[in-house]
Amino acid sequence: MLDTMETLCCLCGVTGGEDEVRDYILERAMPCADEIRTDPMGNLMVFKKGAVTPEKRVMLCAHMDEVGLIVTDFTADGYLRFAEAGGLDRRVLIGKQVCVGPDRVPGVVGSKAVHLTTAEQRKTLPPVSDMYIDIGASSREEAEKSVSVGDLVAFDDAVVRFGDGFIKAKAIDDRAGCAVMLELLESELPRDCWFAFTVQEEVGCRGAEIAARSVQPDVALILETTTAADIPGAEGARRVCELGKGVVIPFMDRGTIYDRDLYRLLGRLADENGIPWQTKTMIAGGTDGSAVQRSGAGVHVAALSVPVRNIHSPASVAKVAECEDQYRLARLFLEEMAK
Amino acid sequence: MDLAELTKCLCGLSGPSGFEEPVRAWIAEYLAPFADEIRTDPLGNMIALKRCGKPGAKLVLLDAHMDEIGFIVTGAENGYLSFATLGGVDQRMLPAREVRVLTEPPLYGVIATMPPHVLSEEEKSRAIDVDKLYIDVGLSQEDALRTVPAGTPAVYAGSCETLGEGLLCGKALDDRACAAVIIKAFEELSQEDLDVDLCCLVSTQEEVGHRGAKVASWGLEPDVALVVDVTHGKTPDAPNVPCSCGKGAAICMGPNINSALSKELFALARERKIPHQPKAEPGGNSGTNAEAIQISREGVVTGLIGLPLKYMHSPVEVVALSDMQAVQALLTAYVERLEV
Repeated sequence: MLDTMETLCCLCGVTGGEDEVRDYILERAMPCADEIRTDPMGNLMVFKKGAVTPEKRVMLCAHMDEVGLIVTDFTADGYLRFAEAGGLDRRVLIGKQVCVGPDRVPGVVGSKAVHLTTAEQRKTLPPVSDMYIDIGASSREEAEKSVSVGDLVAFDDAVVRFGDGFIKAKAIDDRAGCAVMLELLESELPRDCWFAFTVQEEVGCRGAEIAARSVQPDVALILETTTAADIPGAEGARRVCELGKGVVIPFMDRGTIYDRDLYRLLGRLADENGIPWQTKTMIAGGTDGSAVQRSGAGVHVAALSVPVRNIHSPASVAKVAECEDQYRLARLFLEEMAK
Repeated sequence: MDLAELTKCLCGLSGPSGFEEPVRAWIAEYLAPFADEIRTDPLGNMIALKRCGKPGAKLVLLDAHMDEIGFIVTGAENGYLSFATLGGVDQRMLPAREVRVLTEPPLYGVIATMPPHVLSEEEKSRAIDVDKLYIDVGLSQEDALRTVPAGTPAVYAGSCETLGEGLLCGKALDDRACAAVIIKAFEELSQEDLDVDLCCLVSTQEEVGHRGAKVASWGLEPDVALVVDVTHGKTPDAPNVPCSCGKGAAICMGPNINSALSKELFALARERKIPHQPKAEPGGNSGTNAEAIQISREGVVTGLIGLPLKYMHSPVEVVALSDMQAVQALLTAYVERLEV
């Protein structure tokens, strides 16, 4: 499970360019799938038969895309201009290592030396339009040999395990959910289930909208990650959720009011099985649930999220036990849905 | 080990100002086969000497500093480490930054970042002050206090890799790239019949005020000193900086530099066709060890050669290998020509 997640986090799948992730998942899912299909946007939908075939169709859903950057232009002396692909915090960009385009050309987000800044500049951040990536090219022509406008840019991909059971990686959002689905696919299932690996969640849940229309589920469980602000300086409800307090079962976020019965069911399953869980103390973020819920004639939607610190940054941090608990709880959910 | 490999090795070591011992030890071992004498001093400078054995020989000092900017832990809150900076850290580099906390063995840490949704629009566009940032090492408060006591230093994680063609990129290139250059120059010159005694000084605590070089130059009493340090290279957001990466050794001129010596360096660079560029240093303080060395004892003939570097004091500093080679060529050409 954790190995799968680490492998998935190291793949590049910036929103709109999820091919590498999809290809990997497709290869592993193929031998266990009873039906598998993609669509023009690049969603991957996999059906696997389980022990029983109840009337209601259940879909699990996780997104393959990650936040990153997209090359928009070159400077005459060979630097790349870029825009954000997905919602990034521009405070985490300066001085980071990135890889550009399909050939993973290494680069860094440059910024003039602190010695050359004014006191005011040291306190503010340049707009993204003023930032640039240095790939070591000395002219536009040289840069164009290895990079094109429109190339997607991902953060450096090293995975580190540290401290008391923590893992750091880029793209934990949402390869954690993809890993859970892949592991479930490779196991015996208690009931029939559809698995939707979606694209473009980070730019507005665009993939999930058509994936849900294609699968037409009655019930959907979104496997996600969610932002944790459990650091000094954020007090009380502003902490949203905390690593170490368990998987997040949200009742509501900015996109979805989750199905009340399913919310209660997940909490009960966690309690009965000794799985620590928490809910969010702030209405923040959103999931593919927003698109799935309002698909067709409507879908019962719930979500399970792994709390992640520094989400949408190259150094996202999650608790390993909570990734594993997301898997356990998703499986318990399928068992319950088999009844 | 060639110049690029040596630089990568040096950048991978952890040695923030005041805590340079692993770097000193590594360099001392590397230089042992080429030196007559290797020693250190109370500030931890790495001093390697090669005597020519000729009476009345002058002592020529090559200096570059081994320390890098970093952090020092000041306490813990809920397991997160509070910290202060060692040297000129750019606080805008810090959110979601990976660091190496120098416990024994070192710990991995990430500088925790308040997610945007709990911030106002105004806060999102402002850098976060260092006293509001914390290192997340994934430990409980109790474990953090026990494992990482106040006073534990830390540095940026990572080392140095190749970027594009002929560039090196990483942390601590300021000033390990120059340290690598003087080490290679010393190695090369140690095998030649010189008319001068040669000292390779890889100094400590430059980033907090040239402290290592101050005491080392006092102790060594050089006749001539050549300081090698990085200088800013042009970038899109700093277009008016005079020097550029890839255009050669920056020969510095100004009050902090002996003018006859800089003229000699220019002449030599032209004669040997060594790529070079001029750099004016208008103040009495060039911001380098030349400041301390020039006024050591009763004064030292001091030169300053700059290695152009982009994004100084970031974890992704960039230098051109060709510039490093040019600096090395200039140093060796200069020392070879000195007479008794």
